[in-house]
Amino acid sequence: MNKIFKIITNLSAVAVTGIIMVSCSADKDSAGLEYMPDMYRSPAIEPYVDYGEVRGKINETLKNTASALTPPKHTVPYYGTNEEDVLLMLPYNRKPSAAFASTHGLFGYDYTTNTEADYEYNQAANDKNPLILNVKNSEAIFKKGKELFAANCMHCHGEKGDGNGPMVTSGAYAGVPNYADKAALGDGQLFYSIYYGKGAMGAHASMLNKKEIWTLVHYIRKFQNASYGTFSPDGTSAVAAVSDSVKVDKPAKK
Amino acid sequence: MSNGVFSHTTKNLFMKIFINQVFKSVNKWALATLSMLLFAGSFNANAQGEGLFKAKCATCHQPHKNGTGPKLFQVRKKWADGGAKEGSIYQWVNNWQAAAASDPYAQTVSTWAASAMQAFPELKKEEIDAIFDYVDSTPDPAAGGAAGGAADGSGGAMGESNMSEETEEGSFSWVWILLGVIFAVIIGAVSGVRRQLKAALNEANDADEQSYMQEFKAWAWKNKIYVGITSLVLVFSLIVSLVLSLGDIGVVEDYQPSQPIEFPHDIHAGVNGIDCKYCHNSVTKSKSASLPTVNVCMNCHKQVNGRTPEQQEKIKAIYEAAGWSTEGAGSYTGHTKPIKWNKVHVLPDHVYFNHSQHVVVGGVDCKQCHGDMTKQKETARVVPVGELNKIEGNIPLTRPTLTMGWCIECHGEKAIQEGPLDGKKDGYYDEIHRRLLNNDKSLYNKYLDDGKVTVKELGGWECAKCHY
Repeated sequence: MNKIFKIITNLSAVAVTGIIMVSCSADKDSAGLEYMPDMYRSPAIEPYVDYGEVRGKINETLKNTASALTPPKHTVPYYGTNEEDVLLMLPYNRKPSAAFASTHGLFGYDYTTNTEADYEYNQAANDKNPLILNVKNSEAIFKKGKELFAANCMHCHGEKGDGNGPMVTSGAYAGVPNYADKAALGDGQLFYSIYYGKGAMGAHASMLNKKEIWTLVHYIRKFQNASYGTFSPDGTSAVAAVSDSVKVDKPAKK
Repeated sequence: MSNGVFSHTTKNLFMKIFINQVFKSVNKWALATLSMLLFAGSFNANAQGEGLFKAKCATCHQPHKNGTGPKLFQVRKKWADGGAKEGSIYQWVNNWQAAAASDPYAQTVSTWAASAMQAFPELKKEEIDAIFDYVDSTPDPAAGGAAGGAADGSGGAMGESNMSEETEEGSFSWVWILLGVIFAVIIGAVSGVRRQLKAALNEANDADEQSYMQEFKAWAWKNKIYVGITSLVLVFSLIVSLVLSLGDIGVVEDYQPSQPIEFPHDIHAGVNGIDCKYCHNSVTKSKSASLPTVNVCMNCHKQVNGRTPEQQEKIKAIYEAAGWSTEGAGSYTGHTKPIKWNKVHVLPDHVYFNHSQHVVVGGVDCKQCHGDMTKQKETARVVPVGELNKIEGNIPLTRPTLTMGWCIECHGEKAIQEGPLDGKKDGYYDEIHRRLLNNDKSLYNKYLDDGKVTVKELGGWECAKCHY
């Protein structure tokens, strides 16, 4: 009897030591013990979750695979029921040229069939900003534009739009143009450049939606003309109607 | 300058910088005089060239580095050596298509990159020469930027020393275990010897041989008060430490998994001033803050390819992932490869957390939860709450980062709006504020006792807000 007891004591001592030893050898890539592992990963797919193990079941083929995917081609995201917003968010009508695949990595797009260099870009000069400024919305649009500019453009183009952002002043990057030198470009060309990229600048279509880009186009215009989009105090006339996209009266409904 | 090693290295550094500066200025001066001699008529040729270069060319061309367009340093010599027709380079600038049609060398240049150069018909021959003179007079940053490179190199070395420290720490605990085992063996051996001697003594005295257990029991019985108290304390401390260690389950403070690329946040968000929301761009629109896809990296790294060999090695990993070939002007090959990052901030599925809700509606700054990433030299980690509290502007909290206590503590502190809600419009919370004002004024006034309406008071402590 005593012997059996002894064996049990010895075995449990070995087991406890073993557990302590195992818990000591921490895996740097493991976040640690979980209280209820079966509730940590749901089988419903979400981005940035490793589905290699769900509810205790190991699935080797799913381990460490991408769960954040691009939306299927030609699908349109839901933008609510406001007609103007929905029209604004419809897929962009201008196509990139086939060269964008090798210069900007834009694979899988519908390319323009016109072989003339920069054909679509030149055509875009005639595109007008569909986000029409008026006395009521201009303040909000410029505020939003400032936010977007600070997050997406400022590090290269600079706070004043002079092409001297912290990326340039730190010496990491060169060749950022001053917006003031580009006043001759059309609204549509600014949009096209942000959307598909131009020269050294990459495509920002994956990061900004169409409404945001058109908002930025308004904001960039402000660098080129300080009175762009400002209205007289009584709101009846624009101080400087430099573009068709600044309307004095209410925007004409389509 | 008085103490040994420090002064020596600084002296060296100063010497280096000094020599560099002298070299640079001599270089500049010599080139400037040369260009002045060549164009004695126009003393301001260099300034004119610089202005024109910056306004017309710099977007695509750099003097010493290929970008969207090829590097322009001594491009006239390059064309002449390449067998281009006399004057065809000027024609190229005015209208490259015409030049490509008439000159076979220009034709080969036109195939350098898939993108086409803009035509500049307004530039005169003298102006183009001024641009080229300016470009030829610029010093090569690769030769002159040694000081900057050295500074970056030291950063890399620092990261390495951190790494080795960590591995040392790991082996350190093994040393202790080994030492413990050795001590146990020594103690066992000594007590064995002692026992043998005692046994010999007992034999001589003709006493009974005692087993270890009997010996221990006799000793314990003799000192039963001390033994009792000690064992009681031992058992209690064991139980307490067990309970405490249970509290560590699911606490992931300081968790910093290894990553495929040692991404330095301080260089990107700190030195280069890139907003968090540029790379983690879905943070304002989605539940997840999103890891930047490689195309976002390439928006800058197409041009930025590193100053030191370590940096170049790291950036090469991005090129491999993006399928970017650096040959010639550089081009995307289409052969991409995913970068497999390890997730740092892991929340269990049974809790719902939405980034856009907190960042856009709540106006919470990234640093409240993620710390000051502009100073984080390595990849991300779960920053402990103690460090988060030290950051200016953060709401101080007590519970460990990423635990429920930490979340709801903040919900109890964070004001939706400072002061009374009357007349304020907050968009997202309009409806809930309207109801609060119209239905239960007394409750609203009670909330305002501390001068603010917190997330908790608008339902931020309801279970179903996060668990459903």
